[in-house]
Amino acid sequence: MEQNLFEKYGGFSTVSRIVMRFYDQALDSDILAAYFEDIEMERLIDHQTKFVASLMGGPASYTDEMLKQLHAHLDINDEAFDEMATLFRATLEEAGLDADDVAAVAGEIVKRRSTIVTTS
Amino acid sequence: MPAQKDADGPGLDRAAFNKALLDSVGVGLAIAEVNSGAILFHNPRFLELFPELPANATIEQIVDVPEDAEFQGAGIVIREQEIKIKRRKASLLIHFSRHSLPEGEVMMVECHNVSKVKELEYMIESYSKMVEKNARDLRREKERAERLLLNIMPKSIYEELKSFGVTTPQRYDHASVLMLDFVGFTSMSVATDPMSLVSELNDIFTAFDRISEQFGCERIKTMGDAYMAVSGIPEATPDHAQNVAKVALLCRRYVRQRGKTRPQDWQCRIGIATGPVIGSIVGVQKYVYDIFGPGVNLASRMEEMSGPMEITCDQDFYDLIRQDFQAEPRGRAEVRGIGEKNIYSLVSANEALDLAIG
Repeated sequence: MEQNLFEKYGGFSTVSRIVMRFYDQALDSDILAAYFEDIEMERLIDHQTKFVASLMGGPASYTDEMLKQLHAHLDINDEAFDEMATLFRATLEEAGLDADDVAAVAGEIVKRRSTIVTTS
Repeated sequence: MPAQKDADGPGLDRAAFNKALLDSVGVGLAIAEVNSGAILFHNPRFLELFPELPANATIEQIVDVPEDAEFQGAGIVIREQEIKIKRRKASLLIHFSRHSLPEGEVMMVECHNVSKVKELEYMIESYSKMVEKNARDLRREKERAERLLLNIMPKSIYEELKSFGVTTPQRYDHASVLMLDFVGFTSMSVATDPMSLVSELNDIFTAFDRISEQFGCERIKTMGDAYMAVSGIPEATPDHAQNVAKVALLCRRYVRQRGKTRPQDWQCRIGIATGPVIGSIVGVQKYVYDIFGPGVNLASRMEEMSGPMEITCDQDFYDLIRQDFQAEPRGRAEVRGIGEKNIYSLVSANEALDLAIG
């Protein structure tokens, strides 16, 4: 069976590093912080953990429909999406993923732009 | 406070050391007057937690100070508090303690930033839920697969397959076999709606399965309109012939009763026989549990020799059950591939068996 990224990079310990780091960076970003301002930390962490795990092929999955629902009320624009994608990419690189794998995961995110961006 | 050299720490400037310690410690510290709430001192870390601390702020404006009563008997009162550092939310664990100094009573406030711990806690919780859900799904899936396998092979054979990866064919010297099919099934299926025919067949076989299970028989397979069950496999039982005879009678009764309320008239033929049987899993990827041997062949021959709604057995079988069942002798007959045999038609069970069937 083909090994997925989740297994390749040591499962939860890597996921947790990525989530923590990404969470920090997102909250420090001038563009993104506002989106997270009124969201409970617990919920946000919960979603990010599942989302990162699912992106890497771990024990969770988000359908595009779910992503759409989760982001619908947030009025996310392209600028915010791009910022998020950039930060996420950087986080993955920092976490020690190979360039190919970073590109693959980042590609998975970019592919979902239309489910997340709802305003221009 | 004037700097003073301490006797037990030559060269150590105690005041400078204390200050450095307070500055570098990872806890936000503040000291306030109990009465006025005026903040007498705070370290840099405290300011990091409350960067917008106004000059002359009282401690009550910043944190939720416990009531006086809460300090009764408790050295330290611990509070959790959510704050916002610039735009970020943070969780603080705050220890309050009171101390009497010559200058008056003061309160020490230690703020531990536990946001990271909280974040990790949430993450672990979220993750473990995910993993548990997955484990549950897997378990359910495994049970489903197991149920499917148990449908096609006896439990003990399944256990053997699970433990060793293979099974060995087994010979059972004392077993009885039942074979059943329906008269004119092929022409029936052409004559009527095949879908409803198959669904009726499914109903009937399901009922047979229940009967078999109830009376110590194991259904081996169905093939088209044929149904085969066995007793004495894989667990030996001295009542294998009785079990099969009971199932034969009950299946026949079921078919008869069913026919009374339905337009489609089903008529079964049943052969029952006793004899050595070999049970084995056949196939590797697509496996079925099947039985072979003289007992199976004989049951098949007996079935061939049955008329509509008739149950046929030979002398050997009859000898095993004659105490408990009534059968009509049909004299000697040529059994294909086997030779001449005394054959019987099973009629009913004795009342002692309490089956009330015939």
